[in-house]
Amino acid sequence: MAILEVNNLEKIYTTRFGGSSVQALRNVSFSVEAGEYVAIMGESGSGKTTLLNILAALDRPTRGKVLLEGRDITSISEKELSAFRRNNLGFVFQDFNLLDTFNLMDNILLPLVLSGKKYHEMNQRLKPLASMLGISELLYKYPYEVSGGQKQRAAVARALITHPKLILADEPTGALDSRSSDDLLQMFGRINQSGQTILMVTHSVKAASHAGRVLFIADGSVFHQMYRGNSTNEEMFQKISDTLTSMATGGGLHG
Amino acid sequence: MAKLYPGMAFTNIKSNRKTYIPYMLSCSLTIALFYIIGSLGSNEGLSKMWGGDMLSSYMSLGQAVTAIFAVIFLFYINSFLIKRRKSEFGLYNILGMEKKHICRVIFLETVFTFLITMAFGLFLGIMLDKLLYLVISRILAAKIPLGFYISTSSILQSLMLFGGIFLLMFLNSMRHIYRSKPVDLLKSRSAGEKEPKAKWILAAIGLLCLAAGYYIAVTTTNPVAAVALFFIAVVLVIIGTYLLFTAGSIALLKILKKNKGYYYKTKHFVSISSMMYRMKKNAVGLANICILSTMVLVIISTTLALFLGVDDSLKQRYPSEYDITCKAEENDAFDKSVQTLHDSAKSEGLTLINELSYRDFSFSAIYEKSKDFFVTDPGLYSNLSAMQKYNQLVTFVVVPLEDYNKAMGKNETLGENEVLVYSSRQELPVDTINVFDLSLHVKKTLTGFMPNGNTAAKISSGHFVVVKDLSVIDKMKKGQDEALGKDAERFGSWLEINYMADVAGNAETQKDQILAAYHKTWDQIYETNENAGDQGFNGILECRSSEVDSFRGVFSGLFFIGVFLGILFLMATVLIMYYKQITEGYEDKQRFMILQNVGMSHHEVKQTIRSQILTVFFLPLITAGIHIGFAFPFLYRIMTLMNLFNLRLFTFCSIGCFLAFALFYGITYWLTSKLYYGIVKK
Repeated sequence: MAILEVNNLEKIYTTRFGGSSVQALRNVSFSVEAGEYVAIMGESGSGKTTLLNILAALDRPTRGKVLLEGRDITSISEKELSAFRRNNLGFVFQDFNLLDTFNLMDNILLPLVLSGKKYHEMNQRLKPLASMLGISELLYKYPYEVSGGQKQRAAVARALITHPKLILADEPTGALDSRSSDDLLQMFGRINQSGQTILMVTHSVKAASHAGRVLFIADGSVFHQMYRGNSTNEEMFQKISDTLTSMATGGGLHG
Repeated sequence: MAKLYPGMAFTNIKSNRKTYIPYMLSCSLTIALFYIIGSLGSNEGLSKMWGGDMLSSYMSLGQAVTAIFAVIFLFYINSFLIKRRKSEFGLYNILGMEKKHICRVIFLETVFTFLITMAFGLFLGIMLDKLLYLVISRILAAKIPLGFYISTSSILQSLMLFGGIFLLMFLNSMRHIYRSKPVDLLKSRSAGEKEPKAKWILAAIGLLCLAAGYYIAVTTTNPVAAVALFFIAVVLVIIGTYLLFTAGSIALLKILKKNKGYYYKTKHFVSISSMMYRMKKNAVGLANICILSTMVLVIISTTLALFLGVDDSLKQRYPSEYDITCKAEENDAFDKSVQTLHDSAKSEGLTLINELSYRDFSFSAIYEKSKDFFVTDPGLYSNLSAMQKYNQLVTFVVVPLEDYNKAMGKNETLGENEVLVYSSRQELPVDTINVFDLSLHVKKTLTGFMPNGNTAAKISSGHFVVVKDLSVIDKMKKGQDEALGKDAERFGSWLEINYMADVAGNAETQKDQILAAYHKTWDQIYETNENAGDQGFNGILECRSSEVDSFRGVFSGLFFIGVFLGILFLMATVLIMYYKQITEGYEDKQRFMILQNVGMSHHEVKQTIRSQILTVFFLPLITAGIHIGFAFPFLYRIMTLMNLFNLRLFTFCSIGCFLAFALFYGITYWLTSKLYYGIVKK
């Protein structure tokens, strides 16, 4: 069953007085099945951030629909939106977005506190998650006291603790060194294997090569998509590189 | 190249106008206030007026306070501005400007600011000066001299003081620039900060200091003791405020945070942790605001009450228009003076009314509970501290029954060892007054008493005692002479005779005649006639109307100083609040964006911001209100020393000032918080 369906999405930015307009997304359609691990790739300016913002309900499309388990998130009222996002979506950002006034534990618990959960319940959810992500020892540290990789793991824990239907990750490895990136990607793999649906936006080939399916976006529309099949990560990496090369050389004709 | 720097300096000021305009405005206002106060102090027209001398000396005191305040305040604001601009300087540095070039730009900026604020400040000062001069002249009911008065000496003083302050500020900016590296300059605002530690001991000390200060304020019942302890109480409260704002607030938040059930609630979670950081950064600023606000309130409410109650005070100090007092044994001289006053009044066409004459004898004592005895011998209570003495000392004013009945038109009778008592402040704690070797039973407590100018009886707990006849007073005097020993003469242990009289009709309109009669009497009775071996009159002659001007001069002078300092402190409060909101805004922007990203709704974010900002900004006001509440009885006691016994007036002034201040504070908050939301939302 498709957990996420994106139908004919279009986004046009107009300047304030309607002078000129830029089409950031045109006719984007795809769907994500439950338990899938999808990467969206594209150059800077290709429209992938716009797409992610719309999927995250941070921005609204000019036309088209986004259905999460059959519910159109573009029509949710402003009032319900925050609660909806909190309960259904988990976010991992490039620059972690941890609050420096909270220690890691409080950062992770933040969404649960906002949902009004009991402390006892929060603690029960936190423990297994922290040990799975290997940050049990760091819970009482503050963001400025730990490394980038550790910060990102805390951010992942914060995204997972609400048991979201979908994890949206925006360049999760963008601010990490290669070792931490590898760790994080392996962790994403394990999380996905446990049944969690993940949608990741990236322009790192390596990051995308861990996904089960890769969507390529260029000039605001889906250009190509590629399934892993039985390929290893290395083979995936090669295939993605090839696709990107062909996009860079001949892709201009397409959009 | 040479032209580049002035241009840069100018554009810098322009592009930082959000922070520079308030800064320059407050500089100008400070300069204007300093000029005015100096100009009024050196204004010859003013010192020629009655009471003007007093006013001038108050003005120079006020000028000194303004100067000290200006140095601290402007310096504080300037280092705030420089710190905010550090990354800008870092950028210049990286773009290839050397530090000395940056300093040159800063120098030019300082010069521009100085010139602009000086010109504007002096202009404003000269304008307002004339206005205030007119107002003061009107209050002192003097003829208003025409002409425009510009005080060159005050201009010079302003130039020197503020030139010095600006130089100091420039040196401070240079220190900031030279001491930092370009990389530090660039990222000086983005370093992560540690969570503050709870300093339990400091918080406890703060609590103790505040409690001690409040305790002194509430328990010191004697005005003289209150004056002596006022400074100590103020220092204790200031220390307490600072410690509680800095250490106490964080300790409290830590306690709340430890309570998991409370902390992990949507409403408290974000607020507690951000408040902790907010308090870490702002506690000192908030304590400053709190103390400044308290000062504004104390100064304005007391001086306003004194100013409005000047006629009251005058009547307290001089219950009648004329009064003559001397030793009862110099009966002849007394009668002669009274007769002289009568004649003089008559010759000026005045009619004396409410004439009244009685004898009294006064002494002080401390009540010793264990022995149920009033101790009069200072030697016996010298082991008490000065404060305890002041606090427990009561004054007895003893009047013979005969005089009381005559003066009040009553027909009371007293048996042996029976007395009537009237208490001015506190009830007499006993039914029987045991003093010297007498045991006097209180037959009745009186509800009214004849006018009496005895200040001591009003300040400390005074008891007016009517005794059967002079023989009782003789016994008391004997006892008192023994107790005082050879100091008896010096401390005025004798029976006095008082004469009091008012003038029929309006005192204001007959002021000249009243004064003429007073001077005539004065000249006659104090005249020394050496041939006749006459030393002149030994007693005291007083006239209320002759004191009106000096009373008004003193109190309006105090009021003006009060308003001046009030404006100054108020300006400081507003400015500190303004800058606080701006800094907070920039710091919170990122934080609230993250909160929105992880699923806090716009509405919730706004609510959290509001509750935090409200707490932070109204904490000082509320604390100031509590301070004032505790200081109120204390201040009132001190005011009684200035003959202000009008509790209702003072209450009204205090509450009125607080409400006006709260309103002003609220408006300031409202305006600055709009600014804050603007920054956070962007």
